[in-house]
Amino acid sequence: MAAVEYIGRKATFWTVGRLRLAGLVAVLGAWELAGLSGLFFSDVLPSAFRIVRAMGQLLISREFYNHLWVTVFEVLVSFVLGAVTGTLAGLALGISRRAGDIFEPFIHYLAPTPKIVFLPILLVLFGVGMGSKIALGAISCFFPMALNIAAGVREVSPTLLRVGRTFNLTRSQTIRMIYLPALIPAVATGFRIGLAVSIVGCLLSEYKLARAGMGFLAGQYGDKFAIAHMLAVLIFIFVLASLGNAVIARFVRLPGPGDPSRGKTAFDK
Amino acid sequence: MAEVKQAPVLRLYNVAKTFVTPHGNVRAVEPVTLDIRQGEFISVIGPSGCGKSTLMNIVGGLIEDYEGSVEVDGIQVRGCHKEIGMVFQEESAFPWRTALDNVTFPMEAAGIAKDERVRRAMELLHLVGLDGFEKRFPSELSGGMRQRIAIARTLAFRPRILLMDEPFAALDEQTRLLLGDKVLQIQQELNQTTMLITHNIAEAVQLSDRVLIMSFRPGRIKRVVEIDLPHPRSSKMMGGERFGQLVATIWEDLREEASKGLQELERVKN
Repeated sequence: MAAVEYIGRKATFWTVGRLRLAGLVAVLGAWELAGLSGLFFSDVLPSAFRIVRAMGQLLISREFYNHLWVTVFEVLVSFVLGAVTGTLAGLALGISRRAGDIFEPFIHYLAPTPKIVFLPILLVLFGVGMGSKIALGAISCFFPMALNIAAGVREVSPTLLRVGRTFNLTRSQTIRMIYLPALIPAVATGFRIGLAVSIVGCLLSEYKLARAGMGFLAGQYGDKFAIAHMLAVLIFIFVLASLGNAVIARFVRLPGPGDPSRGKTAFDK
Repeated sequence: MAEVKQAPVLRLYNVAKTFVTPHGNVRAVEPVTLDIRQGEFISVIGPSGCGKSTLMNIVGGLIEDYEGSVEVDGIQVRGCHKEIGMVFQEESAFPWRTALDNVTFPMEAAGIAKDERVRRAMELLHLVGLDGFEKRFPSELSGGMRQRIAIARTLAFRPRILLMDEPFAALDEQTRLLLGDKVLQIQQELNQTTMLITHNIAEAVQLSDRVLIMSFRPGRIKRVVEIDLPHPRSSKMMGGERFGQLVATIWEDLREEASKGLQELERVKN
């Protein structure tokens, strides 16, 4: 036994980043092999090369950008609408016990319901165009936002609120100086889940019935059995969703020292 | 010249409290009358459920509905008051603020200019021995350091009376002793009138000028013990003969009340 033991993780070749990359390569390799094996129709399982070529074709077509813009616009507007109304509703539910007791059961039961069931009504109300998509995305976003914020309000430490009282904080100071900063983690989680379900809501309703948008485009390629193009569209959707998530992570910064393993501890001084 | 008797900083007159619950009324505190002089250190000690925290919350203004009166410098107060600062047992440093910003918090709420509040906060951090930790967040500091942040923050307005509700209860024994010494040092430097709620007898004896022993529910002051140990105090006195006598005297009184509390607890459970 060594007298001095190495504590902590040893640096090896298999770092997390490399393992992740290896996993990706393995999946792509399996995909290619399955495609080349001839066990499936080549149209059902197009090779990675054909998917990349389809992506290139999409990127140089003007039509593609039209669909892309429609979807981005729908997602943005529905996210903003859902996030704002969801935040306000969550604050009201969390702060007023009465409002919470009355309305929260409904929200809890509606939250896991697939919102796509509302599409027929929304189509009648807002038409086949972007209106019905925005409405569905906003409804989808509203629920996780409201529930996260309501839970966040209730979890604000009663001791911190008592500290506020002993310093004679006004009601608006209590909200601004204690509730809002304490709620940032709940808001961040709400935004992330809300954006994800906004995207799902918009794309799903585009896929069902629309004249434009990425979901519509993927559906059309699917109907025409142009699987490589359909998968190319899906990859762009994936990239779009990841970008959105990254933007939120960038702007909704969690307070505090951040990752403690990277920062110095109190004892480094 | 005859010495003019100084008016008490804090006066409790027949302060009592009954909680109304669905299971009937619970008398938490029987009328308590008490005068505390400028610069005095008072500890309230009693078994769990003796109403000492209730008494503390009445004095601190968190309970506004009670019988009797609380006076600061002869003026009756009700509700939270900037002359009375409170330190709690639970974690109370704002986790999203640095040590410095935690201490400036009450001054920010009161609209004091930034330069001034930072200057005062730095002084207070120095007083509690946290120089060099201004930019650290509570999560980067130890429990004892976080409690010192809370004390510095409460002192930001130079309150006439500092109330502490078991501020060391969540800390380990060694940290508790060192923090007790720190509190004594602060109390002497600022001539700070302090009221401490505790159930630790040695802590009460080490820190206090007077120890108030409360009875089990309904809480009333059973006995007041003058602590005649010399000043300045420190945790080094704990081995002394007089210290041991005082602890034993207090325990004798407290023992009876604590066993009543225990019996009550067992009765309720059965």
